[in-house]
Amino acid sequence: MDTIKKLVLCAVIAVVTFGIGYKVSDAYFGNRTPAQPIEFSHKIHAGDNQIPCMYCHSYAERSRVSGVPNVKRCIGCHSVIKPDSPEIQKLKNYWENKEPIPWVKVYNLPDHVYFPHKRHIKAGLECQMCHGDVQSMDRITRVSSLKMGWCLSCHTRKKVKNGRDCWTCHI
Amino acid sequence: MKRRDFLKYLGSGIVGTGVGLAFGKVTKPPGAKLIPYLIPPEDVIPGVATWYASLCTQCSAGCGILVKVMEGRAKKIEGNPLHPVNKGRLCARGNAALQALYNPDRIKGPMKRTGERGSGKYKEISWNEAVSILGRNLSELDKNGATEGLYVLTSTLRGHLNTLIREFMSSYGSPNYMQYELFQHRNLIYANRVSMGLDAIPHYDIANTRYLLSFGADFSSTWLSPVNLSHGYGEMRQGGARRRGVLVQVEPRLSLTGANADEWVPVRPGTEGVLALSIAHEIVAGGYYKGADASSWKELLSGFSPEHAARVTEVDAGRIHHIAKEFVKTRPSLAIGGDNLSAYRDGLSCLVAVNILNHLAGNIGRKGGVVPNPAGLLKGRTGTELRKDRITALAKSALEGDVKTLIVYNTNPVFTTPAGVKLERALRNVPFIASLSSFMDETTAMADLILPSHTSLEDWGDDFAEPSTGVRVATLMQPAVSPVFDTRGAGDIFISLAKALGGKVGERLNYKGFPEYLKESWRKIYANNKEVAAGALTFDGFWNRLLEHGGWWQTEEPRHKPRSVSVRRVKAHIPTSPSEFEGDEGRYPLYLVTYPHAGYLDGRGANLPWLQEMPDPMTAVVWGSWVEINPKTARKLGIKQGDLVTVESPYGGIDLPAFLYEGIRPDTVAVPIGQGHRLYGRYAEKRGVNPIEILPVAEDKRSGELALNSTRVRLERKGADGKLVKMGVRTEELGRGIVQTITPEEFERIAGKEEA
Ligand code: SF4
Repeated sequence: MDTIKKLVLCAVIAVVTFGIGYKVSDAYFGNRTPAQPIEFSHKIHAGDNQIPCMYCHSYAERSRVSGVPNVKRCIGCHSVIKPDSPEIQKLKNYWENKEPIPWVKVYNLPDHVYFPHKRHIKAGLECQMCHGDVQSMDRITRVSSLKMGWCLSCHTRKKVKNGRDCWTCHI
Repeated sequence: MKRRDFLKYLGSGIVGTGVGLAFGKVTKPPGAKLIPYLIPPEDVIPGVATWYASLCTQCSAGCGILVKVMEGRAKKIEGNPLHPVNKGRLCARGNAALQALYNPDRIKGPMKRTGERGSGKYKEISWNEAVSILGRNLSELDKNGATEGLYVLTSTLRGHLNTLIREFMSSYGSPNYMQYELFQHRNLIYANRVSMGLDAIPHYDIANTRYLLSFGADFSSTWLSPVNLSHGYGEMRQGGARRRGVLVQVEPRLSLTGANADEWVPVRPGTEGVLALSIAHEIVAGGYYKGADASSWKELLSGFSPEHAARVTEVDAGRIHHIAKEFVKTRPSLAIGGDNLSAYRDGLSCLVAVNILNHLAGNIGRKGGVVPNPAGLLKGRTGTELRKDRITALAKSALEGDVKTLIVYNTNPVFTTPAGVKLERALRNVPFIASLSSFMDETTAMADLILPSHTSLEDWGDDFAEPSTGVRVATLMQPAVSPVFDTRGAGDIFISLAKALGGKVGERLNYKGFPEYLKESWRKIYANNKEVAAGALTFDGFWNRLLEHGGWWQTEEPRHKPRSVSVRRVKAHIPTSPSEFEGDEGRYPLYLVTYPHAGYLDGRGANLPWLQEMPDPMTAVVWGSWVEINPKTARKLGIKQGDLVTVESPYGGIDLPAFLYEGIRPDTVAVPIGQGHRLYGRYAEKRGVNPIEILPVAEDKRSGELALNSTRVRLERKGADGKLVKMGVRTEELGRGIVQTITPEEFERIAGKEEA
């Protein structure tokens, strides 16, 4: 083999492995527990105080998205509850500056997937099935891979009607 | 493999993976953000659409639309299924209205000119300042007793914005409110007036007809009310158990409608009127017309024998006779005359001839024929408006210095008038011009002050469709989204102007804003009209229903009342010879036909990328302009597909690529209208050419319509690369057997066998 051929082979191997590395990094080393602008604890809210999920994520039953609580709703309680804690002070700042809180998305689906919360709630699924043991998490961690295989395994197990049809999610 | 090589490969593999891992970590987009509402708007559920019923203003058909709005953004427009005009359908232009709303080239706030006129140098100012500048200008005119120097020019508005501007003008003291658009169907209205005494466009009941004789009416893409008429056409062809209707299209250049026809009659340009009268001659001569005045018709039409007409029109005498017989014997039948016809120099007469055909066959006021619409909810147009509103008159007044201040809204006459009108020069002579346009176009560039108005999805308004569908139709326009930029509704601008002026105008238009004016006007309609008020207990209930349904319309079947055309009325208006064309036949051997592009119409759609991307339905060309040439003619001139050619008329020349088109007569070339904007935003500018520039100034004395098809041209090949961009469409079958054919003999043999 002459040198050129060898070099080309090296390059090909490098490119292919680069792709593999990139994929692996994406799948296994992505930040599943991102820091949030306010150290909001689901454990305190949903766990200790047992506030139902849909009190704050109020659109889940009615819409594609579950919705994040509007800032007014947060401040509604926290003008009375623990108004002096440093994290609540951050909330107060946002509210007073009339700025929304820039939460970091933990569960992010690409645009070519149509995922309606509404249907899954109607089907009787618990939020925890996909979002994990939220009531014991201080900072939210993504517990599901959100890969297509993960969706399909559940659709298959539960014998969802048209659940394996491409058009069910990719519309 | 040598050990050393193996190690090298292994090394590059490890390095690759490592770099990939690191790269993935570094470049991964930072986590998407989840932004909550600060305070949630009422009745908004994120992810769930709200639909608002409103009005499409992309052309003058007046279709009803539903706008899908999610989280305050308009996402999609659909036809309003309840609306009688478009019955839930929508055309491409209507769909593209979204791109007018979110167009990056919109004028984002009021502006004042700082550089030379036409230089495009403007300074942003506040609305208060803008209104007061215009207000001061108008008070100045008033002080000098020159209120008649105020001219207002708009598109052909029909709703309460029209009423408001008229009230404004009359209380201010100026009679000079004009409407102008390129395709305003004036010849059609005027022809109906002289032949039927009808100052309006009737409903052409294509849905229920069984023989449709269309003279150059491209109702599938642009003519009158394309969505309504196309839907009617579908009904006529395959609606229910009725027999499939026949469509005969008479036009020198095959349009989309022509391509759907059973028969295409490629008549010589400008002789359609003669052809129509020759068909009429055959109806009367064949004794099919049973009216008492048959003899006077016979006399009137005596000069139009098919033999004579055949020589003029190049349509066989036998074919004329055949069409006449089919037309009068098939019941019901209908003849229509479209833009191509009305664009001739004597287009009005040609349209009168079409009305005569309908009269002789007994089609007027019949189901499946010409159905006059009932009087609208608002006072209709007056004859003087028709006579007075002409763009050449405006240019003349401007040149003579009569126009002191001009306000322009929703129309772009600098683009849509032939260069010969010299409108641009005339406008330079106007001391003060204000434009209410949302876009910088050729006319707005002349303005000293720009007060940008809302687009239709942000504004209030209403419309009384013409032609309607044989019943009364009113459509309401409501804002589907809040304004994207610092713009105002055109009505609001006039009302705030009235406030700034005070006095009589201020008193007359003492409203908080246009929505209040609109609502008050509808309160009057509700109070004065039992039919409108029926079924609603209070005005508020009625108003809510209007908003919910998108308007009000009669739901019953149209009432039919036969009307007739009398010889006495039309005598002075019939075409006696072919229409005239400018340009010496020797030097300019080809007829030029211009037609509105299916997407851009008169050019207004050219700034919407969806429409630029949409392939033309007949040629599949995108983005540019082209000239359609018959392959025979092209061969003679040595022109190949895509060559750059010059089309030259006595008034100038344009360079554009050639499209070889079998659907056009060898003695005719055609150029679509709509491209060639000098200004109109990034998507429209410097794309194609504007054929209107090389047209003569030929205005009908009676109706004021500009004749677009009134010149001859010559072609010259300029070069090889005309940059024709088209979708891959072949007209050859390439042996795929798409169209199956057999010879008549074979057919008879098979048919004979089957019978035996
Ligand atoms: S025909 Fe005219 S009014 Fe109707 S949808 Fe198309 S552009 Fe709009």
